Amino acid sequence: MRIGIILASFKSDIKTFVRSKGTLFWTLAFPILLILIFGAIFSGAGEVEYELYVIDFDESEMSELFIEILGETGVIKTKVVDVEEDKIMDYIEENDIKRLIVIPEGYEETIGIVQMGIDENATTNLSFYFDQSEQQTNSVVRSVINSVVINMNMETSGGKEIIHIKDVETISGDFDFIDFFLPGMIGFTIMQTCVYGSLERNTKFRKDGILRKLLTTPITRSEWIFSKMLFQLFLSFVSAVLIIIIGILIFDLTVHVNIFVIAIIVANSFLFTGIGMIVGRFVKEEESAGMAGGAITFPMMFLAGTFFPLEQMPEFLQAFARVLPLYYVNEGLRNAMIYLKTDDTIFHTTIVLIFACVFFVAGLLLTKWKED
Amino acid sequence: MIQKKVSCPNCGKTTTIFGLPGEVKKVVCSSCFTEGKVTFPKTVSDTGAAIEVSNLKKVYGDLVAVNGISFSVKKGVVFSFLGPNGAGKTTTVEMIENIREPTAGIIKILGKNIKTSFDDIKEKIGILPQEFHSFERLTVRETLEFFSKLYKKRANIDDIIEAMDLGDQEKKLYMNLSGGLKQRVGVAISLVNDPDIIFLDEPTTGLDPKARREVWDVISDLRNRGKTVFLTTHYMEEAEYLADHIAIIHKGNIIAEGSLEELINKYGEGSILHIKNCKTKDAVKFLKDEGFNAYKESNGDIAVKIEHKDRVLEILSILRHECAEYDSIDIRRSNLEEVFLHLTGARLLEGD
Repeated sequence: MRIGIILASFKSDIKTFVRSKGTLFWTLAFPILLILIFGAIFSGAGEVEYELYVIDFDESEMSELFIEILGETGVIKTKVVDVEEDKIMDYIEENDIKRLIVIPEGYEETIGIVQMGIDENATTNLSFYFDQSEQQTNSVVRSVINSVVINMNMETSGGKEIIHIKDVETISGDFDFIDFFLPGMIGFTIMQTCVYGSLERNTKFRKDGILRKLLTTPITRSEWIFSKMLFQLFLSFVSAVLIIIIGILIFDLTVHVNIFVIAIIVANSFLFTGIGMIVGRFVKEEESAGMAGGAITFPMMFLAGTFFPLEQMPEFLQAFARVLPLYYVNEGLRNAMIYLKTDDTIFHTTIVLIFACVFFVAGLLLTKWKED
Repeated sequence: MIQKKVSCPNCGKTTTIFGLPGEVKKVVCSSCFTEGKVTFPKTVSDTGAAIEVSNLKKVYGDLVAVNGISFSVKKGVVFSFLGPNGAGKTTTVEMIENIREPTAGIIKILGKNIKTSFDDIKEKIGILPQEFHSFERLTVRETLEFFSKLYKKRANIDDIIEAMDLGDQEKKLYMNLSGGLKQRVGVAISLVNDPDIIFLDEPTTGLDPKARREVWDVISDLRNRGKTVFLTTHYMEEAEYLADHIAIIHKGNIIAEGSLEELINKYGEGSILHIKNCKTKDAVKFLKDEGFNAYKESNGDIAVKIEHKDRVLEILSILRHECAEYDSIDIRRSNLEEVFLHLTGARLLEGD
């Protein structure tokens, strides 16, 4: 490996990149625009439905009726679980539960007391536990529960506020949609630049005769690929830093940069460069390369939890998403940068590293300069 | 003494000059009187071949693209590989350049087998692949600097820019250059390591006549600088103008090989002298009596086949002696198109 040759190639890449306004836009400005647009749309807006865990300490006809009405809304799918009162938080954390409602003991009795006029001011509190990082989903669930509670109050007491909802946040810190979205955007942007960058080198450079030319010069295939990886890593870190700066300046985000974040960014670059190399081996035409790149990145963009949490999708799609490398990149970055869940971070980082090794080595083995 | 064939950059007239190793000789074109300089190589080239190809074969399934061809290229010459599209030119040159794997055969460059010594050979050759386009957003100078850094031996970039007449273009992005300039840059890239052998694969395809002429001038200059040039082309005028030695390839086989004169003499009809509107009776007879192959054409003109240009003077002398009256005389020489037609029964541009 000759550093001089690698640096010469790296330098020419930087010049080419800076002079291509289109590439600059799609690599750096486009993700920032997406963050600004999606951030503005989803930071306070609602979303769809979802699974709601229910702990019914009352186990009465009234509490069962409440659960039944929640299910009938068509927006919420209830799942009744049996958990001791002092272990609720542990249960939520262990099972990674996003939303849970607790019907307290004495729920039916309190309603009866008001209905019979024994104590017209008696109230009962439903506790709604929710993960703040999924604000847009939870805001919908919260509003549906609220509507059901208003109806119940109307039906049982003519509108007196017997049933109240008490909100309990399950993750410490003030997480927002942007906390969810920003790490996904970093993963997605790196994926895009690496896949398309790699495809370009293997189709356009082949078509233009540059690979044939290089084959007849002293530069080796590994020196060339290494210099391109150096450039991809440079781009990946520039993109990540820019996105983080936007997150901090515009959305007041708290980001933690640690060894896992760096490891995932590096592994992500190798992973998707490898995928680009594999596809580039089979897609010979420059025109087809764009379509092939889209066929890889487009489904991952929507299915791997970049813009929306996985649980907003049907179960079969969720299962599919869990085989997509970008899902582990996104989750790893979220856990490492925002939620600081060490175990999950290690798990996701390991998966990403394995994916990176497999795809990059396969890409290296499949890439060839010689013509048939 | 070293012998060197040079072409005048102004009128294209080719002349052979003799000089000593390393000598810079001032020359004046005998046709247009343009002055120029010829630099002789510092070392006398040995008699070994620059390129030797033996029984080279390339097969794709049922298709035999190159059918066991053999040839050698002398040092310091422009060797033209001429043939129609699909004849096997690029497949052959790319096997020599180690871009394609041959099915069979041996290739040696500067005496070394490319299978075992291509890393050494890379430093001594420069290549312009077919339809080559360099990095679009690098300037001409940056492009040359990039490729230069890949080699141990590096030519002076300023010298290359001057030699290729790219001084006005060096700060322009490659993408903004005309087709002719791009090809000139392509040739310039192939010179960054000061190679002994330069491979140019159809360097003028798709260029307009002016741009083509510019590239021809560059190639002529390479020969004048003592480089060996392996040129593939399907333009017969290109081979006629540039080549010292021509190999004609057709359907994967070399069907003829030699200098332009040799090929035309062997396979062409030689040259034909036309005497327009000759009013003298028996002119054909006089010429025939002197041993010329003369005949009357359908339009009344007299045609005389001549094998060598010196015989033109003899014909003129006979006509003067016989007080022959005529309007004008012109000479049409056989060309490679006719040679190809004679050999294959097809025209060069539609030969495949």
